[in-house]
Amino acid sequence: MLLTIKQLQVKYGKQTALQIEQPISIEKGERIGIIGSNGAGKTTLVKALLGLVPYQGQIITELTKEKIAVHMQFNHYVTTMPIKYIMEAILNTKIKENKELQNLISFFDFKPCLSKKFPALSGGQKQKFTIIMVMMQKAELTFYDEVTSGLDFETRQKLMEKLVTWYQDKKDTLVVISHYYEELEQLADKLLILDKGNVIAYGKTKELFRLYCGNAIFIVENNQKNKELTSNFQILKSPNHLIAISCHNKKEEQDLTELFITHNINFKRSNSDIEIMSINAREQNIKKQSNLFE
Amino acid sequence: MVLYELRNNNGNFMTYFFGIVFPNFMSYFLTKAISEDAPMQLYQEIATSIMLTMSLIMPMSIMLLGYGAVYSQEVEHEIPLRMHLFGFEEKDLIFGKVIAQVVILTVAFFVFGIFQIFVMDIQKPTMFSFFCLLLSLYLISIMMLIISHALSNIFRKFSLTFGVTMMFYFFMMVLTGMMGVKTEQLPKALQAIARTLPMTYISNDFIDFWQGGMYNFMPLIQSFLFLGAICGILLLFSFHKNKRT
Repeated sequence: MLLTIKQLQVKYGKQTALQIEQPISIEKGERIGIIGSNGAGKTTLVKALLGLVPYQGQIITELTKEKIAVHMQFNHYVTTMPIKYIMEAILNTKIKENKELQNLISFFDFKPCLSKKFPALSGGQKQKFTIIMVMMQKAELTFYDEVTSGLDFETRQKLMEKLVTWYQDKKDTLVVISHYYEELEQLADKLLILDKGNVIAYGKTKELFRLYCGNAIFIVENNQKNKELTSNFQILKSPNHLIAISCHNKKEEQDLTELFITHNINFKRSNSDIEIMSINAREQNIKKQSNLFE
Repeated sequence: MVLYELRNNNGNFMTYFFGIVFPNFMSYFLTKAISEDAPMQLYQEIATSIMLTMSLIMPMSIMLLGYGAVYSQEVEHEIPLRMHLFGFEEKDLIFGKVIAQVVILTVAFFVFGIFQIFVMDIQKPTMFSFFCLLLSLYLISIMMLIISHALSNIFRKFSLTFGVTMMFYFFMMVLTGMMGVKTEQLPKALQAIARTLPMTYISNDFIDFWQGGMYNFMPLIQSFLFLGAICGILLLFSFHKNKRT
């Protein structure tokens, strides 16, 4: 066990920014994705785990500060010198003498950036700069907070591809915070869903999917024809422009597939859609809360 | 970290201009202007007196303005926090910064000294007066550094920190006679404030024992204690304001 959170509460003034009642544990080698809308408490949780904000409750860990690496949402550096000097000072090494660092620099195609000053880097290059140094820390626990935030679609895709490739055969423990569901689908095998500072769900992605969505879901465009066609199936909560249908067995899946093919309807099948899963987890949580009040 | 901090300062043109070029230029310009109408035999004394006053620009420019400008930008962009997350202890970061500042300051003193001896032809000091000046300048430097460090941490904004340190800088220059107006020519209230600053005594009195003689150091020591206390209060307040838990 790397880290356990018990009865954690973070307050900003009188407002509770984060409240975790059930214990949450992070095991060695796990890839945990934290998801939630703005103000859900994602960054607050990371800050509490790093001891950057005062909190009540317990964070039990034997990890020392040096064994935790963090890529924050915003990472700034001095603007007075080329970044290779910043990198060498932070990592306490010389690039030309460090094979491992050279490998990382070429893996991220970062060599041409080394002689530039920090403000001259593009958004993606700035993120890569911190990622390289975070990776070089070889920490037991690494946090990535909104690594691709503010990047255009193409840069985001490329950066995620690099991250996924890098960590593919490694056993590092990662905590990845993201607004982008597809990023978590690629990187995380466990999910923590937060909403307004509360934990909605925590567990293995596949198990949570089964709990909130069934075995698989089918997604079609939301229009009158599709609404009528799918009215006999279990409909899940989904973004307004879509209809998500839950399937609990192969038979249901086959029926739906046949139905869509017969009516020439485009559809998507998924057994790992984090977006639909988190929407439904939140929905069930709201229902549970309102039942409690009734 | 010292090399990193030296590089960091190299990127700040203001430190070198106001810390090294400006005091030499000012001493040259003022000495030429004042000694023009004075008898030849007074030249060395005028040059020395102006040198003593202008020497004070170095700690104020390098430590108060220069360091404040660099560090407040770092604080505003949470660079110390980023460094902390990379495993750097705050005390190590500060140590690197202080050593780098002291190196730059020492280079500035050296250049200033060479310029004053070989270009301005100042009076030769006694070992004691030279030691007193050097010690006072380093003490003032440390205090200026503490003030700018504390203000950066209190305001956490470059614009505000730079504005306030610049105001202090010019206010202290006016009070201690660096702007050409002698302290005794100032209004009574300003004179009282000036007497609480060690810079006033260096600027006005050090010429009296530069080549020997007696001097009552008590007011100077008291002013150091007073400024030191202000630095301490500011620093403690900045710690209190940034306390995390």
